[in-house]
Amino acid sequence: MSSEGRPALPVLTNRVRISRRGWFLVAAAIIALLPFVIQDSYWRTNLIVCAINIMLAIGLDFILGYAGQLNLGHSAFYGIGAYASTLLIMKLGVPFWMAFVLGMVLSSMSGMALSIFAVRLRGHYLAIASLGFAVIVHQVLLNWISLTQGPLGIYAIKPPPDIALPGLPIISFGSTANMFYLVASFAFLFYLLLDQLVRSPIGETLTAIREDEISASSFGINCTAWKVFAFGIGSALAGAAGAFYASFVGTLVPDAFIITESFTILAMVIVGGMGTLIGPVWGAILLTMLPELLRGFGDLRLVFYGAALTLVVLFMPGGIVQAAQIFRARLGRLATATDAGMRR
Amino acid sequence: MIASGSAAAAQARPTAAGVFFYGAGLHKRFGGVQAVRDISLSIPRGGVFAIIGPNGAGKSTLLNLMSGLYQPDAGRMIFDGVDLVGLPAHKRVRLGLARTFQKLRLFKQLSVLGNVIAASHIHHDIPAWQYVVHGAAFGRDHRRCRAQAIKLLDFVGLEGRASVHAASLAYGEQRMLELARALATSPRLLMLDEPAAGLNAAEVERLLERIRLLREHGMTIVVVEHNMDLVMEISDRVLVMDYGQHLFEGTPAEVQANPSVIAAYLGATT
Amino acid sequence: MLTVALQQGINGIVFGSLYVLVALGLTLIYGVLVQINFAHADVVTIGAFAAYFFTFAFGGNYLISIGVALMVGAALGWLVNAAIFAPLRERGSELLPLIATIGVSILLQNAMLLWFGPIPYAFDSPYSNKVIRLWGGTFITLQNLIIVLVSALTIVLLYAFMKFTMMGKALRAVAQDRETAGLMGINPNQLIMLTFVIASALAGMGGAMLGPILVLTPFAGTSVIVKAFAIVIIGGFGNVEGTIIAGLLVGLIESYTTQFVNPGLTDIVVFTLLLLMLALRPTGLIAEKREENV
Repeated sequence: MSSEGRPALPVLTNRVRISRRGWFLVAAAIIALLPFVIQDSYWRTNLIVCAINIMLAIGLDFILGYAGQLNLGHSAFYGIGAYASTLLIMKLGVPFWMAFVLGMVLSSMSGMALSIFAVRLRGHYLAIASLGFAVIVHQVLLNWISLTQGPLGIYAIKPPPDIALPGLPIISFGSTANMFYLVASFAFLFYLLLDQLVRSPIGETLTAIREDEISASSFGINCTAWKVFAFGIGSALAGAAGAFYASFVGTLVPDAFIITESFTILAMVIVGGMGTLIGPVWGAILLTMLPELLRGFGDLRLVFYGAALTLVVLFMPGGIVQAAQIFRARLGRLATATDAGMRR
Repeated sequence: MIASGSAAAAQARPTAAGVFFYGAGLHKRFGGVQAVRDISLSIPRGGVFAIIGPNGAGKSTLLNLMSGLYQPDAGRMIFDGVDLVGLPAHKRVRLGLARTFQKLRLFKQLSVLGNVIAASHIHHDIPAWQYVVHGAAFGRDHRRCRAQAIKLLDFVGLEGRASVHAASLAYGEQRMLELARALATSPRLLMLDEPAAGLNAAEVERLLERIRLLREHGMTIVVVEHNMDLVMEISDRVLVMDYGQHLFEGTPAEVQANPSVIAAYLGATT
Repeated sequence: MLTVALQQGINGIVFGSLYVLVALGLTLIYGVLVQINFAHADVVTIGAFAAYFFTFAFGGNYLISIGVALMVGAALGWLVNAAIFAPLRERGSELLPLIATIGVSILLQNAMLLWFGPIPYAFDSPYSNKVIRLWGGTFITLQNLIIVLVSALTIVLLYAFMKFTMMGKALRAVAQDRETAGLMGINPNQLIMLTFVIASALAGMGGAMLGPILVLTPFAGTSVIVKAFAIVIIGGFGNVEGTIIAGLLVGLIESYTTQFVNPGLTDIVVFTLLLLMLALRPTGLIAEKREENV
């Protein structure tokens, strides 16, 4: 896959850092302006779903793309976060934000439990174990009727409580604009967090584990601990996504967390470009928005997912990010990047 | 033949005191195969200790036992006073044990420099919160690790290839990268598993140079090798294994002259 | 009480044999390729639909439709290997082919959804109603008897093929060590293709026989496939004997759980068993050691 003498994946240079900050500002600006540009309630809903999917995708990328753990059970962490936070609020009267955090914690713990359980399992075994775990979680949600009301679902879930800051008008999350700001801000912050982690020695550690665990442990890396860490973080993000999903959609049914959901999140990560963090963001945006834009092909959405996933793996395994790199290379910018890389 | 070998070993059976790396009565079985049987060794600090033997003699298995990839079925291992049995591989690195692999295990998606930096995992000195908010300590650590990595690349002759994908290096260069990575852990005892495999004469010479330099700087080196010239050139002591067992141990000259060693090699079918 | 227990035992064996057919395909593919084919499920579904249309649209004989499904399965297997696994084999990635098959699976399922719709098809085999009384007050439908007989025959033939014929041995050689097999004049690519074709033919057959007893929707295969994975793991990836035992075991566990515990819990029981196996004995009931070369 690599050509002779091709420069390595970009490591930080001063020039790149400035652009990074710039891009973050651009992203923040876009988030701030979107609800003004898009007033239609239907499309705003899609934006919120998009933000939730971004959270799910970058969480999975941390586990799969960076730590190299084939996790097919992400839907379980999503569902656990959604149900746990909702049930805490509705059955135990826990305040929203505490339930939110607890939901994340529970998802994180189940992620870590799965990881510890699967610690000796490689590749395919882990994939099946995580799939089995997701099936079990879904079945539990479906059958534990006294707790979750099973297939009937939970209704009338309230959005996050109003925020009243002194001197400012009350922020109500019944409004789609405010809900979007909330979810998108969290997605942005989570991305920032993961990005910082990944550009630190932690990112290198996870990459080492992904590439070759035996080799990694010969450098003092405790592979088990770091895999558990990766799962813990990735699944916490999924839990947050679940809590937001519940409070936004207002109803919760077990079939929202069926194992197919794991596959759609996987598709977002792969199509975007696994192991790049920004790739899954693009993947989530593309796979959330494009089917909506092609409306009238409603049922084709999943066909599209399947086709995209297959074709990307066959022809452009690095996803959108790889395609963009190739494109930039063709424009001759690779020469400049090489200079920047060498000049240190 | 085997009898005389183990008689000599019994006389020379070492004690743990003062020995840098001490192993006694090591056994390892895989399914039906006894890969290592009752191996004892004591490696003094400083110098090059070679482990040789015909194919299948259990040399790599012994190395894997020492580095912690496998746990022994029986026996003791003590490194500079610390009991190694039960200690997982990654913890041994912090004690100062490092190794390279017979089969190349480079991080293909990283650059050459990235590979060496990734290997310096145990040397990071960053407070936990600075992994999220990259503060001053983070910056210092980053610069220090980079500088150290570049020095190591200089040492193995790869300084010009720092930003190249590890996968696109020539074979000889990849072997040198393996060495650089192991050195990034700042080991006190370095284990090299067939470092000369597949290298041409010039590359072997360069490897020898580096091993000599490391030895001069006081590093203890354990080498598993097939290349007899290299072993005889560089080693201070040689352990000969056959069928997983201790066959003979002595200086290179003694090994070359020993009849049971010669018979083992001539009698070997592979 | 004994009657009920025996009856569930018979039901368990019926379902178990079907699971074995589907799981055998998976395990064979894994044995030669060390890859999981997620699209295997959809071969089962397509086999079921093929049999359905052959029987009802063309008015063909049900038994022959099993053969039709076999051939459709075989053709699909050929296609999936040629289009996906063969091109990806050079890349040497462990994860990519698996992910590609996930993509194919999603694609096929939803394409079928568009084509056939979500409403279950009533696949009534002419043998579903004929009942044969057995000993102890139990009974078996002729359909189920056919299932057991056809499955058993197929499994026996396959087993004999693997153990006694030149090609079967060559297949096992490729599974053990592809490089060396290649050096000995065996063409691994051809054999891998053969494996795929056989495996998918089995899946197609399984689908044809499952059609009348399961709910026939585009997702019929999915309900079986995750169980098939469980069976392959419990039996040991690539291990034919293990898969057979595990398949029957899972079938029995399922029917007993349905009868004596709670039908909604069968999946949970089976998958908890799966996770237990992974925790305690990941290589399966009949372990086949694959040493990692360091």
